[in-house]
Amino acid sequence: MTEERKSKKRLKTSKELNRLVTEYYLNCQTAKAEGRPVAWMPPMNGVIELCYAMDVQPVFPENWSPVCAAFGLTPQNFKVSEDMGYSRDICGYLRNIIGYVNGLMNEKDTPLGGLPEPDILFTPGGGCVPVMKIFHALERRFPKAAVFSADLPQVAIEDINDTHIDYAIAESERLINFVTETTGRRLDMDRLRETVVLSDQACALWDEIMSFRRYIPVPFSAAEMGIMFVMVTLQGTQKAVDYLTRVRDEVRQKAESGSGVIENEKLRLFWDNIPLWYNMGLFNYFEAAGGVVVAETYSAAWSIRMDPQNPIRSLALKSLKSYPLVSCVSINKRKEMVLNACREYAIDGVIFHRNKSCIPITLGQMEIKRALEEELNIPSVIIDADHMDERNFSMAQFQTRVDAFMEMLADRKGY
Amino acid sequence: MLENLIQPFEAAINQFKKRDQLEKVLPAIGYFCTYTPIEVIHAAGFTPIRITGDAGAVEKAYAHMPDFICPFMKRALEKALNGKYDFLSGVVQGYSCDAACGAVNIWRDAIGGGIYHTLPLPYNSNPEARAFYKSALNEVVEKLNALGGSFSESKLDSSLGLYTEIRNILLDFYERSFKGDLPLSTQQMLTLIEAGAVSSPEAYLDMLKALKTHLRNANAEKKQDIPVMISGSLVEDPTIIEMIESSGGRIVADDLCNGYRQLVPAAADGGSPVDRLINRYIQRMPCPARSRAEDRLAPLIELMQKSGAKAMILIIQKFCTPHLSDYPSLLKAFKEKGWPVLLLELDESWQPGGQIKTRLESFFEMVGA
Ligand code: SF4
Ligand code: SF4
Repeated sequence: MTEERKSKKRLKTSKELNRLVTEYYLNCQTAKAEGRPVAWMPPMNGVIELCYAMDVQPVFPENWSPVCAAFGLTPQNFKVSEDMGYSRDICGYLRNIIGYVNGLMNEKDTPLGGLPEPDILFTPGGGCVPVMKIFHALERRFPKAAVFSADLPQVAIEDINDTHIDYAIAESERLINFVTETTGRRLDMDRLRETVVLSDQACALWDEIMSFRRYIPVPFSAAEMGIMFVMVTLQGTQKAVDYLTRVRDEVRQKAESGSGVIENEKLRLFWDNIPLWYNMGLFNYFEAAGGVVVAETYSAAWSIRMDPQNPIRSLALKSLKSYPLVSCVSINKRKEMVLNACREYAIDGVIFHRNKSCIPITLGQMEIKRALEEELNIPSVIIDADHMDERNFSMAQFQTRVDAFMEMLADRKGY
Repeated sequence: MLENLIQPFEAAINQFKKRDQLEKVLPAIGYFCTYTPIEVIHAAGFTPIRITGDAGAVEKAYAHMPDFICPFMKRALEKALNGKYDFLSGVVQGYSCDAACGAVNIWRDAIGGGIYHTLPLPYNSNPEARAFYKSALNEVVEKLNALGGSFSESKLDSSLGLYTEIRNILLDFYERSFKGDLPLSTQQMLTLIEAGAVSSPEAYLDMLKALKTHLRNANAEKKQDIPVMISGSLVEDPTIIEMIESSGGRIVADDLCNGYRQLVPAAADGGSPVDRLINRYIQRMPCPARSRAEDRLAPLIELMQKSGAKAMILIIQKFCTPHLSDYPSLLKAFKEKGWPVLLLELDESWQPGGQIKTRLESFFEMVGA
């Protein structure tokens, strides 16, 4: 029994990640110090590649939130924003970042040097409401920053047509002109093409890395999802490609040599919705019952392949697809994705994180749950939690539900 | 006498409620938010019906949604799951917030039949945004036509005219109420608007015209209570309004989605009917789901000044991210103006508890002091 539980889960390359994270945030600070423009932007869109191609340093306030969670800064940030009047019923990313920029950011010794002040704010219209409202609050907090109000059609993946793409392209062009006007930097098409090639390579590597999770036993679990950091912040850079290549090599080696996360893998699980950033170790909980989380919805959305011959169009498509792919904008597509993943990864059971902090991802889960049962006969369990706010998570409730679920799954498989 | 004048509107609402049990009577299309271009739906030959909820427990909806969704969306789904929207030929929803967008897709899955379409709306107003808006409207027209509708520019022209007249009459009533000169209560105004949301615009316009004539020489009763403005998304049940008015307040203006906000402006200029429609939606009095809190300040301040309100009460549907996110900014701006703000959240029971009554009383005591 103890032997079964012995965990070999850590990837060596995963440990390397700390260095990458530190370097990235250091780079953000250096950019500021050296007078390179710093742009704050929402994640999951094609603006990141444009920024790297134009030597503008992108900063992702949403990505800073998991960092805050890892460093235990979240409660403090929540206190600041809640004192300002922000309700606990609003997404924790919003409460965390608004709390951070109005509190801790003004103090000196913050982890990783903190975030540099923005020169540019790319305020979105077209993602979720909390992200849009985050940027409105940032506009208030950083009145000197140049604001670009971006627009994007909110359409389900299956409904995207040329008019949506044309508009997204028109917005990209307007954005490029804006950056040129505010910073004096021009876009070099060759450089953009190179960035898009790198971005596409990263996506290909990402897909390849994920494909090794089809192996039984699985070479790494959701507990390693931190590697997604490079897909969020370094997309379109050589650094991302180099790192993902190393991850790929290690994962391949582990998969092919049959070295799994746990020795006696019995139950393969799928996780829907954002992880609990303040408790990534939770993914290891399943191991006691021989379970491993081998796939997630959230990680699939970061890989959108590009056509380097058509860089602007590719980026526009990436912007159009990324958010709908994980949210209630495209419930049908999401359902299809989850069902396919469950087939491909030989999933025994699905865990739905019903996330108090994210209405867009949580809406639609019940439809997916039903389809899993009806079409694939795969059972699932709902975990009530929150990706940022620990106060909305009860370990006791989690254990009760998961224990019963794992027992049921084991029974079904005759363990 | 006034009760009699409102009676036709109540009758229209009741008739609609009864129709719930009937088979398809009219080809009707439902919508959640007033960013939906109802003129286009009407011009294609459908009656646009605003979807709302029924009183009673929410049970079935929880098989499709978590509990942390606004009561509006939960109750509306419950009603649909009870078969009460079976007469609709579908739902067309102008993109407002995440919850509404998700709800359209959930309805497609759980209710089915007809079309379920979220109309993406631009956040900007440059020429590219307008061109995109136009093509997005075309898509709606195509879907409506495929359902048996027959849209034409000239029909859109008439629909625009019809809705402009409706909005103008209601806005006239509002203007009178700002001067304390309208012999209708807030609840009666909300009843008028509710009737419009579930009637054919032709019949509704006739009713409004008759009411306008009757009200021409009627006088309002003067009240001494503290004048307040209410703001929020929808207020679907009169209890909170009654409670405000029995706690020492007098509602003199509203910024509600099922009140004043959806009426402004009544119409907009432009070349073609489609341009006029687009311009109106772009110039709309903003909802927090589609704007910066700062953009809402000017119209809200104007309403406060015009109506003589001394304080604002935000009546927010619990879990409504757009409204809750704007609260800190509104609070700050109103404080600077010397206007107290009270935030009330209503859950799906729609019933403000005793605690809310106490909060209202002390609020009015504070404002009156
Ligand atoms: S997508 Fe969800 S988690 Fe992300 S900002 Fe929006 S509401 Fe929050
Ligand atoms: S704006 Fe608020 S009340 Fe309206 S549908 Fe969205 S969450 Fe519900």
